[in-house]
Amino acid sequence: MERLLEEIPSFFTIWNIIFLGKAMGVTFLLTAIGCFVGFSVGGLLAIFRKTKSLILLPLRFFIVIYTEIFRRIPFLVSLLLMFYVFQILKISDNLFLIATITVCLIATAYIGEIIESINQTQWDAAEAMNFSYFQILKEVIFPQAWKVILPPAFSFFIMFIKDTALASQIGVMELTFAAKILNNKGFSPLLSFGTILILYFILSFPLDRFGKYMEKRLVENRN
Amino acid sequence: MGYTLVYTQVLEFFPYLIRGALISLQIAILAFFGGMFFGLIFATIRTFGNKLMNSMVIWYVTFFTNTPQLVQIYFLFFALPEFGILLSPFIAVLLGMTLNAAAYLCEIQRAGFLSIRQNELDAAKTLNFTLTQQVKYVILPHIMKVLFPPLSNHYIIMTLGTSMAAIFGVEELTGRAFNINSETFRSVEIFSLTALVYIVITFIATFLLAVIGRYFFKAKMRIIQ
Repeated sequence: MERLLEEIPSFFTIWNIIFLGKAMGVTFLLTAIGCFVGFSVGGLLAIFRKTKSLILLPLRFFIVIYTEIFRRIPFLVSLLLMFYVFQILKISDNLFLIATITVCLIATAYIGEIIESINQTQWDAAEAMNFSYFQILKEVIFPQAWKVILPPAFSFFIMFIKDTALASQIGVMELTFAAKILNNKGFSPLLSFGTILILYFILSFPLDRFGKYMEKRLVENRN
Repeated sequence: MGYTLVYTQVLEFFPYLIRGALISLQIAILAFFGGMFFGLIFATIRTFGNKLMNSMVIWYVTFFTNTPQLVQIYFLFFALPEFGILLSPFIAVLLGMTLNAAAYLCEIQRAGFLSIRQNELDAAKTLNFTLTQQVKYVILPHIMKVLFPPLSNHYIIMTLGTSMAAIFGVEELTGRAFNINSETFRSVEIFSLTALVYIVITFIATFLLAVIGRYFFKAKMRIIQ
């Protein structure tokens, strides 16, 4: 414990703080890009899944298969798979790019699924009132669906902040990897991993609170 | 280019991989029920406990749901030895996953508790139900119907989460994939096969849970979302 106290001044040097700050930025960026793409593409997939025409049947089939498969592979495994696929096809060796693409793929599957299931009752109600597909989109989904989607969106954002910790396994310079480097430099694991636990908490706690607040307000508005 | 996928070499290791999957399932099930146990205690405190204990549980849950499970396990595995507590990789992963699961399952079970309405209990009392009858006919069916879908969902998430154990050297499904990878260098083949095994085991779990949920607890569950 005394050794730990002695270490603290040499741990929190300006360089280490900048190093950790940068790593925190990478974690946030990875999550933000993943969630942005996840929401845009996932929303599109959810909309396409509701189409009724026979021509689009293969597309609907593909969407169902896609969401089912990507929600059943651990993030670590898909990350490594993507890493090696990039390697043998010689597409790029940018680790951040590989991690981002994997996060996007997984986020699309998860968020597309959640958007679809949340709006089910609204679709059912609108269909019962004989709205056409485009009418439902225009009159029901676009004006108000985002209110229903937003609170769980926050918990997804937090989920992906946590999941990106696995990107350290292919060597992306994010928070967990930064802690591993600091640990390898000889700082105590208690200090390095403890610090990033707190940093992760600082990153996701405000989002958690804000999401809960929005959820509460939404329920109040409904009643 | 010049890379062709060859699965024959990797398929020789298939039985080895499947035995790894059994270890993954073992971790998932142990951590799930451990998490259920502690989650139930926490949920009870959250519902009936005094203010101090209540806020302690709230902080526990907030902390564990807002930090990555991987880093929590790193902490257990690398930082606890500083205090003289050495954990084996398997135990460290199991402990980390259980602590993490306890936080999530506490929230899920609390939502289940809150879903019982006072009216229903009053109605049961009016009909002169004894306490055991109330639990058996009113509380349990209701709680299970509400709880079963999110619990089985979390079980699936935990099964996927067990792949983290590989990082700490536990030879479960992903860990064995690492081993085979370093032996054969057929990386894409082995990891795609591993992904397939994960898809199959989680699909079987979803199917069984949906069947149980529908027939025993009358929960609304779909196999394909």
